[in-house]
Amino acid sequence: MSMHSEPPDDPDTLREKIIGLGETSLHKSYYPELQSRLAELERFRALLDQTHDAIFLIHAETGRLADVNASAGMYLDCSKKELLATPFINWISPQKKAVFDEFARRSCEQLPASRWTCIASLVSREGRETPVEITVRSVTFGDKQYLVAIARDITDRLQAERELKIKESALESSTNGILITDLAGTIMYANPGFASIFGYERGEMLAGRSLEIFFANPAIGKKVTDLLRKNHAITEETIGVRNGGSPFHIQVSGSVVQNDAGQPLCIMLIVMDITERILIDQLKRETCAQLGKNIEQFAILGDHIRNPLQVIVGYAEMIDDPLAKMILDQSDRIDEIITQLDRGWVESANVRQFLRRHGDDAEPRVETFIQRFSIKDWDS
Amino acid sequence: MDIVPYLVNNGLISATGILLGLAVRNRFTTGCRIMIQRNQLDLRKFVVPEFICGYGALQLAGRYARNFGMKQVLLVTDPGVRAAGWADAVGESLTEAGVPFTIFDAISPNPRSGQVMAGAEVYHSEECNGIVAVGGGSPMDCAKGIGIVSSNMQDILTFEGVDRVPVPAPPLICIPTTAGSSADVSQFAIITDEMRRRKIALVSKALVPDISLLDPRPLTTMPLELTVDTGMDALCHAIEAYVSNASSPMTDLHALEAIRLIHSALPAVIEDPENLELRFSTLLASLHAGLAFSNASLGATHAMAHGLGGVYDLPHGRCNALLLEHVIAANYEAAPDRYDRIGAIFDREPGEQTTPAGEIAAFRRSIGITATLTELGIREDAIPTLARRAYADPCLVTNPRRLTCEDIERIYEHAL
Ligand SMILES: [Fe+2]
Repeated sequence: MSMHSEPPDDPDTLREKIIGLGETSLHKSYYPELQSRLAELERFRALLDQTHDAIFLIHAETGRLADVNASAGMYLDCSKKELLATPFINWISPQKKAVFDEFARRSCEQLPASRWTCIASLVSREGRETPVEITVRSVTFGDKQYLVAIARDITDRLQAERELKIKESALESSTNGILITDLAGTIMYANPGFASIFGYERGEMLAGRSLEIFFANPAIGKKVTDLLRKNHAITEETIGVRNGGSPFHIQVSGSVVQNDAGQPLCIMLIVMDITERILIDQLKRETCAQLGKNIEQFAILGDHIRNPLQVIVGYAEMIDDPLAKMILDQSDRIDEIITQLDRGWVESANVRQFLRRHGDDAEPRVETFIQRFSIKDWDS
Repeated sequence: MDIVPYLVNNGLISATGILLGLAVRNRFTTGCRIMIQRNQLDLRKFVVPEFICGYGALQLAGRYARNFGMKQVLLVTDPGVRAAGWADAVGESLTEAGVPFTIFDAISPNPRSGQVMAGAEVYHSEECNGIVAVGGGSPMDCAKGIGIVSSNMQDILTFEGVDRVPVPAPPLICIPTTAGSSADVSQFAIITDEMRRRKIALVSKALVPDISLLDPRPLTTMPLELTVDTGMDALCHAIEAYVSNASSPMTDLHALEAIRLIHSALPAVIEDPENLELRFSTLLASLHAGLAFSNASLGATHAMAHGLGGVYDLPHGRCNALLLEHVIAANYEAAPDRYDRIGAIFDREPGEQTTPAGEIAAFRRSIGITATLTELGIREDAIPTLARRAYADPCLVTNPRRLTCEDIERIYEHAL
């Protein structure tokens, strides 16, 4: 009994179909299905050909290539046809050949050798070398043992590693203290310069510790990270604390390291010991102040001398005596000397002004975020 | 040349003595030396492709190509068939079914290995995934060759011999335009190795086409000579299959029916070439013969005709026609009952003392094949080479009688 609702064929159509003349009457054939599977395989192969990795299928027993993708041909300057049946080791750097042979032997004997990775070079027919990381796996298709080798071009990676090495050595050899922390201020890296400034033996010992332990006022650690998150870059001076507890002047420059998308990754701080500079500045300031005082005293002293001198000149002018002229002459000389002293005072004042203007003698700047601690304050 | 010297007192007597000697020995050592005994219970296999016969069958080419999943067809044909319009008719059917195709028609009679390789090149470059052959034996054999070269990626000459095709060919749809070669249903392909000027036989079940579309219409455009030659080829197939030591009840059925149909239809169609029903009878005859010989294989006539065709580039059917009666005479003792049954079909005047070989000779003369091999340009000094090649041909293996190289030389000599 028919369950479906399609109208039944009329007898003539049915008869045609029984004879075998129906539209889809066909001898059993796997070909159409095979074609669609093949098309699928072709698509997959096209995909494999798109990858930059060179892929090699190798007969485990003979070590010869059974199949390769398009990239393999590109790295080796050969067509796929030329590559097939050539020994795989012909195409890798000589020093790796023995190791590969050993791996192939092991997988052939079905010893545990499921995966092996090494850095080698693919050597093209023209002798051009491409540094690659080769991963070899042992696989079985049907009753045949194969090796699949995937070679990834690591030219760029090696270049990046070289550049990184240079940057790393620069960090390591800098006499400035360099600190890399996460965004919360936990130390990820401290260079030897930093360790030495703060009296630690090695920078590695500091990883994982918080930034605040290096400041006289621990709250500054948090202020630094907060400010950096807001402003992305700072340069400030403050008081650091050495490993043994002794304070010293430091300048901290910091910036937030961002990725290409502008997202913050970590914080980088450069710390300089500025104790010596601070002391010199202090000395200069004191000298300048002393100079100012001396100049003022000279001015007052000049005025003090001029007053009695004025009285002397007054009296001498009233005396009609040849000696009076001599007194006046001598008084003029004294006045000239005082005038010279006055001029000297003006010049000294200009110098002081100049010094002030060019900052060496400037008043210490108003701290924006760090409460200024003097070493004396710390000591007390 | 007459065949009478062979036959005296119902026995086989050879002018050379070799055949006689063999025949005498055969009386005492039946089956050991010159014939292979057959038994009803012997294992046999019968492979037959799907085929559709009748008026308009060729128009189904497109439907079957599409059902086979063909995305791009190589339409293999030859210039003659193309000129007659049959390649275009099949092409139209493909187009109607939405299957694109590329025509390859650089094929000569006795197709050459180079032509097969050129066709395979086109098949590959056009990214074909199926073949439709329209024509006689040459395009169909060439199409079979193109198929196996494409699927195996090997030179056509590497498949010479029996069961040498590891990977089956893509689907092959055949539309025969002659009634003789039966390449559309057979496991054979004969290709000329042009370098060595010899015909090679490729025999494999992988060469059996997938579908044959047997339409009588294309036969009407065959010239008379081709009708006669291909008809004689079909007769030869049927006779050789019937007496083959690999025959079976199933092949016998088809072989005898083929012989009967050719006997009645071939002379008639020569008289009335436009008659579609007569043409269809010859087509059916060819189909029956093809089913018979594809499974029972052939014999010395074909082995020797392949030798001739390779060296002289002669029409295959014509070579068979001129050799058949001589091979029958040489083979007679190995299968007398079977040959007598064939002779009876051709017997024009029952009661008269005739031989099967004589009847066949009279038949081919009656349809206009009267030349000898000498007249076709074959020289006596070529015989040792021809015989050596025929001796190596796989068709010889199923000849009812085991022939030596010398035996074959004698047969050629008689046929000159
Ligand atoms: Fe034939």
